[in-house]
Amino acid sequence: MEASSSHPSDTNPSPSAASDFLSNLPSRGLFSSTVVSSNPGGMRVYICDHETSPPEDQHIKTNQQNILIRSLTLKKHKGDSSSKDGTESSRKRTGEKVVDGRDSAKRANSQVNTRQVGSNSQTSTKDLQSLTVERLRALLKAKGLSPKGRKDELIARLKSA
Amino acid sequence: MSIWNYVVTAHKPTNVTHSCVGNFTSPQDLNLIIAKCTRIEIHLLTPQGLQPMLDVPIYGRIATVELFRPHGETQDFLFIATERYKFCVLQWDPETSELITRAMGDVSDRIGRPTDNGQIGIIDPDCRLIGLHLYDGLFKVIPFDNRGQLKEAFNIRLEELQVLDIKFLYGCPKPTIVVLYQDNKDARHVKTYEVALKDKDFVEGPWSQNNLDNGADLLIPVPPPLCGVLIIGEETIVYCSANAFKAIPIRPSITKAYGRIDPDGSRYLLGDHTGLLSLLVITHEKEKVTGLRIETLGETSIASTISYLDNAFVYIGSSCGDSQLIKLNLQPDAKGSYVEVLERYVNLGPIVDFCVVDLERQGQGQVVTCSGAYKDGSLRIVRNGIGINEQASVELQGIKGMWSLRSSTDDPFDTFLVVSFISETRILAMNLDDELEETEIEGFCSQVQTLFCHDAIHNQLVQVTSSTVRLVSSTTRELRHEWHAPSGYSVNVATANATQVLLATGGGHLVYLEIGDGILTEVKHARLEYEISSLDINPIGENPNYSHLAAVGMWTDISVRIFSLPDLNLITKEHLGGEIIPRSVLLCTFEGISYLLCALGDGHLINFLLNTSTGELSDRKKVSLGTQPITLRTFSSKNATHVFAASDRPTVIYSSNKKLLYSNVNLKEVSHMCPFNSAAFPDSLAIAKEGELTIGTIDDIQKLHIRSIPLGEQARRICHQEQSRTFAICCLKYNQTSADESEVHFVRLLDDQTFECISTYPLDTFEYGCSIISCSFSDDNNVYYCVGTAYVLPEENEPTKGRILVFVVEDGKLQLIAEKETKGAVYSLNAFNGKLLAAINQKIQLYKWMLRDDGTHELQSECGHHGHILALYVQTRGDFIIVGDLMKSISLLIYKHEEGAIEERARDYNANWMSAVEILDDDIYLGAENSFNLFTVRKNSEGATDEERGRLEVVGEYHLGEFINRFRHGSLVMRLPDSEVGQIPTVIFGTINGVIGVIASLPHEQYVFLEKLQSNLRKVIKGVGGLSHEQWRSFNNEKKTVDARNFLDGDLIESFLDLNRSKMDEISKAMGVSVEELCKRVEELTRLH
Repeated sequence: MEASSSHPSDTNPSPSAASDFLSNLPSRGLFSSTVVSSNPGGMRVYICDHETSPPEDQHIKTNQQNILIRSLTLKKHKGDSSSKDGTESSRKRTGEKVVDGRDSAKRANSQVNTRQVGSNSQTSTKDLQSLTVERLRALLKAKGLSPKGRKDELIARLKSA
Repeated sequence: MSIWNYVVTAHKPTNVTHSCVGNFTSPQDLNLIIAKCTRIEIHLLTPQGLQPMLDVPIYGRIATVELFRPHGETQDFLFIATERYKFCVLQWDPETSELITRAMGDVSDRIGRPTDNGQIGIIDPDCRLIGLHLYDGLFKVIPFDNRGQLKEAFNIRLEELQVLDIKFLYGCPKPTIVVLYQDNKDARHVKTYEVALKDKDFVEGPWSQNNLDNGADLLIPVPPPLCGVLIIGEETIVYCSANAFKAIPIRPSITKAYGRIDPDGSRYLLGDHTGLLSLLVITHEKEKVTGLRIETLGETSIASTISYLDNAFVYIGSSCGDSQLIKLNLQPDAKGSYVEVLERYVNLGPIVDFCVVDLERQGQGQVVTCSGAYKDGSLRIVRNGIGINEQASVELQGIKGMWSLRSSTDDPFDTFLVVSFISETRILAMNLDDELEETEIEGFCSQVQTLFCHDAIHNQLVQVTSSTVRLVSSTTRELRHEWHAPSGYSVNVATANATQVLLATGGGHLVYLEIGDGILTEVKHARLEYEISSLDINPIGENPNYSHLAAVGMWTDISVRIFSLPDLNLITKEHLGGEIIPRSVLLCTFEGISYLLCALGDGHLINFLLNTSTGELSDRKKVSLGTQPITLRTFSSKNATHVFAASDRPTVIYSSNKKLLYSNVNLKEVSHMCPFNSAAFPDSLAIAKEGELTIGTIDDIQKLHIRSIPLGEQARRICHQEQSRTFAICCLKYNQTSADESEVHFVRLLDDQTFECISTYPLDTFEYGCSIISCSFSDDNNVYYCVGTAYVLPEENEPTKGRILVFVVEDGKLQLIAEKETKGAVYSLNAFNGKLLAAINQKIQLYKWMLRDDGTHELQSECGHHGHILALYVQTRGDFIIVGDLMKSISLLIYKHEEGAIEERARDYNANWMSAVEILDDDIYLGAENSFNLFTVRKNSEGATDEERGRLEVVGEYHLGEFINRFRHGSLVMRLPDSEVGQIPTVIFGTINGVIGVIASLPHEQYVFLEKLQSNLRKVIKGVGGLSHEQWRSFNNEKKTVDARNFLDGDLIESFLDLNRSKMDEISKAMGVSVEELCKRVEELTRLH
């Protein structure tokens, strides 16, 4: 991200600036008559005497599942599929791709994010500590490193990479 | 009054909260959609301007409105979310001109803290989902499927608790929101999130920005190709995107609204809290943003919403003042403003206070409101009826008739005014100096009374007198032909149009003449069995100069008859009943519907629908307009035809929505009226009243007439003093000269006719005017204005000091007579048994008016009553005192004379946060609370135990959906003693959204009948968007929701009259009452407001 901010010096108002900026206002030919008049009164009041229920399936309700439980089930589901992918072979190739793709997107995001927030572009130890072993292993795998060992070892390996 | 109440809107909400522009009514139409709290207005943009299309009532308080275009659709859909957590998606069906509900739902959650900063409802620009932020820490998503259908909604946890704004970003592969929030150290940041629809969760977004302007409050998403977002602060504006960051400082201001000008998002209009309109420009090279520029354009009303329409025209919607249609000019005017205000749309909101007065002493109430806020503050005089603005008048006694004539057939203006007296006829004309002077038409007979006059074809004029019909050339003014009445007979009544003359002589003779070039031909003669009382041949058919029908009113059998012309065959005969003869009949057409109006000698008016081809009369309706004979005459104003009914209560009859409406005119007795459209006085009326001939123009024809008195400051309290003919107001002025804003409070005295400020009393620094009344004290004949104030110090939570000031009006000046310091804010003052009752913080205090030795007076504390949180609203009746508390609902106190003490008698134990109270009768009290509900409580004096007697029983509950600031007893309409509604007591209320409403207490029988009608109407009139009327009107606050009871929705009931006939029949069948009877009973109710 470009951190350059423009300086207030380039906003000195000049008397004709507004006129310049007001030229070429969009027009579709409406309000073009020389006598523009409008009549705010005398509006017809809408009386709705037809059925107004929406189509059957468009009666929208909110999913009542608790957010925590939902995220746990999703995580479990994700965990299941990723562990399967790690051990099993080509049976769920497509699924793996999806998961991997999402992982990399997430990673990219977190990198962008940290670059903005933190000063150095390197992932900090603290950030890595907050990740689960599973995530660390996935990160290592993506970098072509061995995913084996304790969490500290994994972090050390990632940091040295 | 009673517990059976009928609530109806007299003036609809006018506070504009949202607006948007899109192709709603058809792919080709460009529409402006305006949200006014509980109503949506649809306008069409045309080359000629804004054309109003439809006013749609919504059963909910509108929280957000958005137009959007789902995939594969050719026109926009309208998304509306209400404050009670309902939403709907509406589509316009151009074929049937109906609104179709595409989707609706309930988006409430059982657990959740409603957001402090209002509800947010946004739609992804690529139409992948609708996002709602309704509760702190939750973001609700309603996803679209790829066919544009909505799917089940779900919540996502949002870490940011103090959200200020959320918008969708443009041009993102995944739907991405940008959140402006405040952290627990009060610093403000923005953050982006991608919405992962599959995981139902957020993913960290592409960028974020910390530590923004401390006043950053508004996000503006920028469309492609630039993308990104503008963050509007109080001192800076920042453009932010994944790869650019630009900032400019601005003059300190709070931006209230924005409107995008260009589809590519390079120019925006910003409206700030002082009503200044600025132009914000994103300068860019191709897709790279190079900087921001801001230019001040000029002043408008304080905007709550801005919509760029087209061709430099902009709609400014306002909550604080009138909404406006403005034009942005390329060149500044003399004052350096680029803004030209072309049109103002009246907004009464917020009505902070009002009073009901009868300034013209006609027995009809007028409401004077304290409207608007900040610089847009004003007083508004709201009157039912139409005003005549006098332009000239002369003294003339004994006018018996008036007609205007043109000097040639194709002259657009009238030249002559023929005024008939009992034994002469005078002709007035405009001279070269535009003055009315007497002239002569040689061919006219001026020594006798004229019965009728009219312009005729071939540059001729017709005069009918009791003996002759004279045809006169309008150019040479000479007599061309004359018809004489048979000897022994005299003409009693006559009428004419451009080609025909119909007259009646004694003995029931009816004579029909036709006008030719220089000749009058007697075409037909008929003899009727009785004398003829009135005639009319006003052309209502295709030919504007010739009528095929004649209306004839009869003596003796009291009937009205329709004859065919030219053969004078009787087509229809209708007996009017009663013994009062029809004094005036009139054929007329309103909005394409023909009517026969028939005015009786006792001030009643009967109208019939007239079938012009068959001459049949149907749908008879009778109304009472006054007590004296009525004369009917048509006139036109703004290209529409109206009828003027001259009588002791002059009335204008007009049509709206194909319904006949009757509006009072602000004149006393009028004997005759005729339109007089002269070059000097275009579109004027000549009016004959008590010894005077007046020429005046008429206001816009509408039911309520509103006059504005701009103050340039906000009035907060108002009261009227009959004796000094003045108003006194408490008002405050904001000073924005320096960087730190200050406000100064005043008490001002205004003349009640001119509304000029004639005297001002400035209050101290930090001193606010809280209450004002006009009252007198026992043992003192003077009338005083009493003002209660509070010292609002920045470091105090509640004021601990205030004053009561007593003024007398002397020589048009406010003279301070006495003052009394109080230990808190004087929230309310009431005259009470010749003493002064004040509500001071948590205390009710009674003051006596004591004469001191030196002859001056002082207020002396007599007794008081503690036990309130804050006693904000107080009303009294006899010895009873009703207190509306900040949060403890209503309590009833009593003043005991012997003991000189105030005691609590009973209270409502509900925790209602009150906004207004009023006493309906000895036992029933009305309250309004801050969740937009109304309720009534009843004193239970027959209770068996002290506990029962000490409890005010809640007897009525209703959700009004409006925040009421004030109740006042009174009525907006003239109460005619002989009409049924004249006996119904009413209370008027005023709300923040500018609504003026009426609460009427009905007899029980009528209530039961109307309740049945209401429940039947609910089955026929459906809520737009599938919203339920029953749910909308159910009493609802944080603690409970219960069905409405003992209140009826008058707006729903009165819409019965707008139903088509088949639906009316359906209801009539369900009710077991005839349609006519239903119409009559509902029409009676419409005359309450």
